Amino acid sequence: MKNRYLVRGPITPILISELMTLGNDDAGAGAVSIFIGKVRDDATDGKRVTAIEYSAYEEMAAKEAEEVIKTVRSAFSDVRSVIMVHSLGVVKAGEASLFIMVTSGHRDHATRACRHALEMVKERLPVWKKEIF
Amino acid sequence: MAAEVRVLYFGEAQEATGRSEEEFTARDTASLRNQLISRYPDLNRIPFRMALNRTLLKGDSELKKNDIIAILPPFQGG
Repeated sequence: MKNRYLVRGPITPILISELMTLGNDDAGAGAVSIFIGKVRDDATDGKRVTAIEYSAYEEMAAKEAEEVIKTVRSAFSDVRSVIMVHSLGVVKAGEASLFIMVTSGHRDHATRACRHALEMVKERLPVWKKEIF
Repeated sequence: MAAEVRVLYFGEAQEATGRSEEEFTARDTASLRNQLISRYPDLNRIPFRMALNRTLLKGDSELKKNDIIAILPPFQGG
């Protein structure tokens, strides 16, 4: 994988626990807010989604992810770190495809910045999906 | 002056064109858009935007040799 914002396949519980340790050396971060997006088994025309295959414009995705992080950090001054990872390739229903973690001194900016980052990721990250039934 | 540029297709635009990239010769993005639609009428169904050298375009832009234009259907991440 060319960049640290994209990972091949699902975001596994092991990867999530590794990502969660990234802020551990910062004892000033009293709040951690995490969003995990998962593939839903939506039904369309009587068929149920079993997986989603994600693709991305990888070079632009890295640039946009960095912009999102920069914007979030400047909008919420108490934020100390922002981690985000999106899946590429096949992710089965029930598995995670997006991970966002924001650490901050106190809870208010952690929760608001995490939500803000999520909305920006959905709006700006050049990622596409193909449903598999 | 018209320039040779590389066009990348993503998401549904790959299905509409049957390819992931190709070369075009165009003076600007408006002319490129017209060429794309006339070569691939199915692209008309997709409300795509364009990125020039990895930056999303807000309006039309002149093109230079070796520019990279990406055809971007609505994003679906998350």
